[in-house]
Amino acid sequence: MAIVAKVWIDEDCITCDACQDICPEVFQVTDESSQILAAVRTDGVFDRNVGGSPLVGNLGAELGDIIIEAAEACPVEVIKFELVADGAEAPSAEAAPAAVEAVAPAAAVAPPAAGASEALNAVLAGDRSLNILFGSQTGNAAGLAEKTAKLAANYGLNANVVDMDGFDLASLASMKRVMVITSTWGEGEMPDNADALWNAINANGPALGGVHFSVCAIGDSSYDEFCKAGHDWNGKLAGLGGTEAFPLQECDVDFEPPWKQWVAEALPLLACVDESGTLQVELLDEMKAYGAGDDDDVAEGDYTPGSIVRDELSLSLEVFRYCPEAAQSGWDTLTCSVPGHATLQDLLTTMQRDVDGSLAFRRGSGAGTPTTGVRANGRIVLADAVMVGDVVADGGRLRIEPLPGHPVVRDLVVDTARYESHRSRAEPWIRTDPREGERLPSGSAMGTMDAATATALHQASDVLSFQLVQAMSDTLPHDPHYEGPGVHFQQWLRVLDPRTSEKQRRQIMDSLQERDGVWSEADHASLMRYGEDGRLAARALNEARGALLNHNRYAGKSGRLVKWYGRSVKWSGNVNETTLYRQVLGPLGLVSNVFSGVSARMALAFTRNGGPPIRGLQALLVPPAGLGRIPKMFNGKVDDYHEVVSLFNEIDQRF
Amino acid sequence: MAKIAYYPGNVARAGAYEVEDCIQPLCKALNIELVELPRASSDGGNVIKQATPKLQDALVARNMALAEAKGLDIMTTCASSHGIMCNTADNMKRDPVYASNLNNLIARTSGVEYTGETQPRHLLHYLVEEIGLDTIRDAVKNPLKMNIAAYYGPDMQREGACSGDDPFMPTYMEQLIEALGGTPVDYESKCQSVGSTSMLTLEDASLAMTAAVLSDAIDSGAELVVSACTVSHINLDSYQSKAGRVAGKNTAVPVCHLAEVVAFALGYFPDRLAQLRTRARLIGS
Repeated sequence: MAIVAKVWIDEDCITCDACQDICPEVFQVTDESSQILAAVRTDGVFDRNVGGSPLVGNLGAELGDIIIEAAEACPVEVIKFELVADGAEAPSAEAAPAAVEAVAPAAAVAPPAAGASEALNAVLAGDRSLNILFGSQTGNAAGLAEKTAKLAANYGLNANVVDMDGFDLASLASMKRVMVITSTWGEGEMPDNADALWNAINANGPALGGVHFSVCAIGDSSYDEFCKAGHDWNGKLAGLGGTEAFPLQECDVDFEPPWKQWVAEALPLLACVDESGTLQVELLDEMKAYGAGDDDDVAEGDYTPGSIVRDELSLSLEVFRYCPEAAQSGWDTLTCSVPGHATLQDLLTTMQRDVDGSLAFRRGSGAGTPTTGVRANGRIVLADAVMVGDVVADGGRLRIEPLPGHPVVRDLVVDTARYESHRSRAEPWIRTDPREGERLPSGSAMGTMDAATATALHQASDVLSFQLVQAMSDTLPHDPHYEGPGVHFQQWLRVLDPRTSEKQRRQIMDSLQERDGVWSEADHASLMRYGEDGRLAARALNEARGALLNHNRYAGKSGRLVKWYGRSVKWSGNVNETTLYRQVLGPLGLVSNVFSGVSARMALAFTRNGGPPIRGLQALLVPPAGLGRIPKMFNGKVDDYHEVVSLFNEIDQRF
Repeated sequence: MAKIAYYPGNVARAGAYEVEDCIQPLCKALNIELVELPRASSDGGNVIKQATPKLQDALVARNMALAEAKGLDIMTTCASSHGIMCNTADNMKRDPVYASNLNNLIARTSGVEYTGETQPRHLLHYLVEEIGLDTIRDAVKNPLKMNIAAYYGPDMQREGACSGDDPFMPTYMEQLIEALGGTPVDYESKCQSVGSTSMLTLEDASLAMTAAVLSDAIDSGAELVVSACTVSHINLDSYQSKAGRVAGKNTAVPVCHLAEVVAFALGYFPDRLAQLRTRARLIGS
């Protein structure tokens, strides 16, 4: 029996769900990556655990074998773990906790500072965890939390950015360093994602004797209750016994400058909290120097990442606005001048800061965050990754709208609940029961995939975001039951995945064939408009249709359309619309068109435009209905039509 | 005289004969020689592709190869057919092995091959880029004098298929309408799909999509909708009253194909133009 001291997830997880299927007690797969559950970690944080927080209690012994099985089953080998005493089996489960404690997280040890005092090196060698909790309504606080986490690394701190929504309050007491960044919403209210935690800490807040904290409060000084949420948190943390390492920083609408002042002071102070939870203020100057990189050993040279610089653009900006309280929508229009290399998110942030603080949009990390999707001049893009100069030329009009296909919550913020609900129902994740594949020495099966298949699967699914694919459909807004191309795309990828069990494959194929399935997309051309992602999606959905046609032997209207379209082309080289109408709609469909006026419009259209109503005797034959106006009952053949027949015979003899 | 091979698409010589009525005189007036391809077949309409993508690509490659054998580019009046030709050309360009495979097939069955020399063109792009708006403006005899909404559809509004126009905010048709003496009307849905390939199988969704485009055009002040796609034109016209009833929207507006309005403005079928004006101003659909 192996005892695992700690487990973490490297980058490039493909969210295949295999680990969660094998060991749901430890792994949970989100849209971005597999994560280590907070309940099994000593630091109580839910993330990839790159800081290497040890497993709690006897868990490493109890679940060691299963964790290892999950790691070995990972197709991209991103699950890493460390065994107690380098893999030696512990003599008893009781010995495990002590051994776990003895293993210091490798990533938690900051590099010693050359020339630094022993005291500083001792602090840097201890636990360096920092938890940054954010309460955010529009994404500003979340963005600052991400930036703060990056800066924390300069002080040898391993920062975890934690959304207050879903945060385990009980773990707060075990944290040595905590930063809180929160906005204030409405008239002094907590942001939505902080509400539950705020209520919980008021109802049953733990003692925070060993916690050093600092709070950054964002607000708008035009409101009476300026930064109230931040003050509330500051008072509460202090009231529960926490030590305020640096005083609360208030930030107005232009929040970046005061935030910078705050992190410059608060971070080095918190970094001086040692392993035992004592703030060693006397090390502050030395810590600041360490953080600033005033190190004799620092290599000289400019290591700043390269950046793209584009000319300034003058443009007319139109931003969609929607106020749910008044149920009113409209456009904000302004003329502005921005650098071509600014992202759409930069532009929106500036507009929010300088023009209208109430503008709502989702912020991302700057590296293509899937939730930042918007439509800009018709293109479906990620606002934090696309430059203004990529969607508009100098002097042009830039129109920014919410992502189509989702209900709008406010301004550019959309509600993706419908997509998530469809996805949840479609279950496009691997279910491996009964599992297919190779056998482990233990006898249990492990899903496997050869390198070529893995590469092909990766290429087939290499899109920015399935949510964006969902938004590409022109059909989705007009069919409330349609599950959408983003969902079906993921389902089809599971069908192609050799690790998927036969049972799941059958279930997915049945689901795709259903009324709201893959035939519900009225036009793949609407997907193909959106670059490589749309092309991949359209190709995958077309493949799914091909497989369903084979599987169901051209059943249903869609199957009949394909079958008779192909046959009519093979017979003459041309499409025969009358044949299609008869075979696909049947007699009832034809009668329906007569009564609904469609047939009459077909027949009279030429008359309305002044053309002859009847062009041949064939049109007088019964039934007259066709796709177009007065169609031909029998097509003339194209010249040398046997060449067309030969092509059919060479490629597909089913028609 | 400009010379180009002509591919009418799947319906211009069947259910949408008015396009065929107009394309010949239109080209005559603008000094364009249309070269027929009597051996050209259906392009599969993105329907055959659902069963066998390779078969559709082979049919399309054969049509383009027939034009290439004559040393000409190939023009169509249908946005859907144009998009299909661009897709096949793109597929062959991306994968030379696949292209070679297709060429072996069409060479064996039809004695031609497609090397990529011949480029697919849509009537709209050909008129704006090759003939020129000034030439067209000079040739106008009956200015349209109506508020006209242009419908592009999604098939040719993507990179690689829309020539020099913007795929998401196109203006070619508006420029052409202006040159023909009409007043272009801008509206949001001009590139939205009307589900034309699925009208027989997904009627409710297709009708709702059709109604959305038409009512948007009407709300923006259009007296006439002009379609660059022959297949979508049928949805927008023949199904418009049914679409309006199903979606509960006002969809009553005359719909013409691009080839019709150009021919009308150039002086052909003055009686049809007069009727169209009457419908637009007085009767509606």
